[in-house]
Amino acid sequence: MRRRGRWLFPVVRHALLLAWTAVTLFPIYWMLMTSFKHAGEWVTWPPRWFPHEPTLVNYVKVLTPGTSTFELGRQTLKILKPIGDSLIVSGVGALLAVVLGSALAYSWARFGTGGRSYPYNILSIRMVPPIVIAVPFVVYFVTLRLLDTYTGLILVYVATCLPYVIWMMLAFVEEVPVELERAARLMGASRFRVLRSVVLPLTASGLVVTFLFVFILNWSELLLAMTLTNTEVSTIPIQLNKFQSANEGRDYGPQAAIGTIATLPVIVLGFVIQKHLLRGFSFGLLRK
Amino acid sequence: MTAAGTPAAADGLRRWLERERVFKWVPFVPVQGLFALLLLPNFLLLVYLSLLSWRITRGAWWSSAFTGLDAFQRALEDTRFLWALGRTFAFAAAAVPLELLLGFGLALLCRRSFHGRRFYTSVFLLPMMIVPAVVGYDLSMLLIDQGPFNQLLSLLTGRTITVRWLSEYTPAQLAVIGADVWQWTALAFLVFTSGLAGLPEEPIRAARVMGASRWQIFWHVELPLLKPVIAIAVILRSMEALKIFDYPMLLTQAGPGNATETVAVYLWRVGWEFARVSDAAAMSLILLVAVALYSLVAIRILRRERQRLAEEGAA
Repeated sequence: MRRRGRWLFPVVRHALLLAWTAVTLFPIYWMLMTSFKHAGEWVTWPPRWFPHEPTLVNYVKVLTPGTSTFELGRQTLKILKPIGDSLIVSGVGALLAVVLGSALAYSWARFGTGGRSYPYNILSIRMVPPIVIAVPFVVYFVTLRLLDTYTGLILVYVATCLPYVIWMMLAFVEEVPVELERAARLMGASRFRVLRSVVLPLTASGLVVTFLFVFILNWSELLLAMTLTNTEVSTIPIQLNKFQSANEGRDYGPQAAIGTIATLPVIVLGFVIQKHLLRGFSFGLLRK
Repeated sequence: MTAAGTPAAADGLRRWLERERVFKWVPFVPVQGLFALLLLPNFLLLVYLSLLSWRITRGAWWSSAFTGLDAFQRALEDTRFLWALGRTFAFAAAAVPLELLLGFGLALLCRRSFHGRRFYTSVFLLPMMIVPAVVGYDLSMLLIDQGPFNQLLSLLTGRTITVRWLSEYTPAQLAVIGADVWQWTALAFLVFTSGLAGLPEEPIRAARVMGASRWQIFWHVELPLLKPVIAIAVILRSMEALKIFDYPMLLTQAGPGNATETVAVYLWRVGWEFARVSDAAAMSLILLVAVALYSLVAIRILRRERQRLAEEGAA
């Protein structure tokens, strides 16, 4: 029994793990392959697992300049502008959130500003479903003339990202030894000097990780983006959704190309921060 | 010193900012300002709108008359809303336990180092890095009637299977739940992997020395130690699952009929497609109350566990 168990376990383990690997990779593989297929191969029976003549036509099509339109049921998908918009909105939103949130996390960790419950109160913002804030935001933004502008969407993204930034940065700031800061202060460094020369270098990697993390969150966001934009600003998820709801003449290939383009940078970034990915989710509950 | 060359005003400002009393509030001003100017008016507006019977097509909202709690009454009598609410909870109740069990199982299998572990870990984390809208789109392509998913099922079972995943009631619901499970088992896996890696060794070794079996160690030592991690996973996934929006939108367009219409999708439709803003606001408030109760409990648990961890660390 013992002897047999010794080789049986690794085999069973690999079998189970390989099964889930297949489940995980199958949709990703299919999207990648479809993005290289000619129109005739998008929907066939039996489905084609490899494109017979791999082509970049879908990528060329979606990456040519112009705006996406519907014409007589035919769609032309263009995503250069949405890519740009997604980069601007996600990037600026993440940057502002990181600057504000990390300063706040530092202040709370060192001085307890705002009281002991402050981070928990902030966290409750994150728990509000986005659809709840979406309804009044439209009305509010129409009144402020912020609807369908970069500023409007960025402001909303900063507000919704702040809880994540604060909780992630709390974990990083708490790792900075207070003694080091005290020593620098005793040697006559100003508070800003301490921030620049002690705290910043020690939390730099944390700042980068946090930035990338909230960037990915913004990059993926659909509901608020869809609600608060119209024609001037448009992100990648919105484009995908727009053409998904059109049942006439679905363009599987170009859509797969868009999906791949939207996915690749995130996967790369995700692997860069893989080790720290959990920080954003752990509410500081993780043993070190 | 360094500020010797700068004008007196800048020097004074700098010294003023240096005081602890001032310094610690500097980051609070913009953050609280943002909340005060963005989220607070937003909430007040939500309450205000819910007391009207305003539609986008009916003039300006500020000149619309109060109609008391009419919008709430309409919401509570709206069976489609109640169904969407119930359906959302049902989807969460189906998807979340499945994700947690799968994630925990996979994390246990990958616990000790073996050949290929890094490969598996990297692959298992992939889904959570994909834009949910893309997942919805991607699965909609796999699940078409003559798609590769039906083909695979046919190959595996040896019969011709032609389930119409996206246009029949139950299959469409399974598809939405499946999308959530596919994507977020990765997160459960991540949470549990780090949880297992962070287990302290002493109590486990002590139990082994005292002759506990593997199963006893797991059940009586490791599982209790994993409590905070399990709390994270449950809270995180259940909160997010109640927000499901992207999958029904892209995968099934909330159909067939309203079979996969979650509360987020329905509220979105009420607000924009039907332009009944006040009704959407009232329903949002009802949803908010339901979620607030839940999140109060969640935050209490988080606080308690965090405190316990801090005490453990200090001891």
